[in-house]
Amino acid sequence: MPVGAGTFAGGAGTLLLAAAIAGGAFVYDMGAVYVSVKGKKPGGENVRLILPAAVAPVGVWLVPKKDLRQAMKEAGPYLPALQVAAEELGNGPDFTLVEVKNPREKVHIAKQGSHFVIDVDNPNETVHVSVPLEAVRTVASQLATIPPTAAGDTEESDAI
Amino acid sequence: MLTKRFLIALVMVLSSSSWASAAENRWLHVRVEEAGPEGELVRINVPLSLAEKVLPAINSKELRGGKVKVSEAKFEEVDLRAILEALRTAPENEFVTVESSHQNVRVAKAGGNLLVKVRETKGKDSAETVEVSIPFPVVDALLSGNKDELDILAAVRALGTIGDVTLVTVHDKKNKVRIWVDSQNVAE
Repeated sequence: MPVGAGTFAGGAGTLLLAAAIAGGAFVYDMGAVYVSVKGKKPGGENVRLILPAAVAPVGVWLVPKKDLRQAMKEAGPYLPALQVAAEELGNGPDFTLVEVKNPREKVHIAKQGSHFVIDVDNPNETVHVSVPLEAVRTVASQLATIPPTAAGDTEESDAI
Repeated sequence: MLTKRFLIALVMVLSSSSWASAAENRWLHVRVEEAGPEGELVRINVPLSLAEKVLPAINSKELRGGKVKVSEAKFEEVDLRAILEALRTAPENEFVTVESSHQNVRVAKAGGNLLVKVRETKGKDSAETVEVSIPFPVVDALLSGNKDELDILAAVRALGTIGDVTLVTVHDKKNKVRIWVDSQNVAE
């Protein structure tokens, strides 16, 4: 090995390790989106999904452009409010925001710690979704920066 | 002199912090109960402090910066703001009563509250009763903006400074609705 090559490799390794630690810390800081669907009927499917919340903003850019444009048209005026709400909810105590009960279904939407949690229980399945408030805030702020009709926005292109 | 200044500063800090904590600990609740074996129960709890922060961030057609244009707040050609202005200056217990074959409306001022009671007959044995009770500090806050607007944000702030109060109840054959403010973070 030439003189200096080991030092260079060591430096690159340190940089990669630092990047990995920084990336890991960022992902850890954002938390994880947790989705669980448990079928109750025979043969019902069970789905469990754990995604780093840090990838949620990336997911925004994978949504088909026409769907995103339609969603923005309807939700656009409320995105700043969603940003503020997510930020404020993080500072407050845990509570149940919405509870719906009928003989067939129970829905529970709550703020628990740093997460927004949705639980649905009906005869077919139980669903549990947990989303970090920080991810909600980040996605809302990212969506808010998208103009209603972005430059180069055509029907043909599917994803932004 | 220094002690007096210190005490004034202390009172100012304490009063401002107690106002903030009062708003933080106040909750707006909505309960909708549907009658019958298949009936649904819906409970919603919103911290008033959250509403205070979120309202100014909404800029839709109807609501901008926590304020609603009065033209949007007209119900069946009734000028809501004009009625509220008149009631604010009227003496206690002065009623506005409108009676028709299918609807009775009573508006009153009592116990520091604006009271509105509407009873609407729907068919032979079905009636809907709506009761609204709004403390006058909240009414004042609602009217504190420009003449052509209702300041919803100011009203929410005012709600945070008053005691427990039931704002709206709706009763009919199918549903019971209650909207109220208290210090509990769970609805009954």
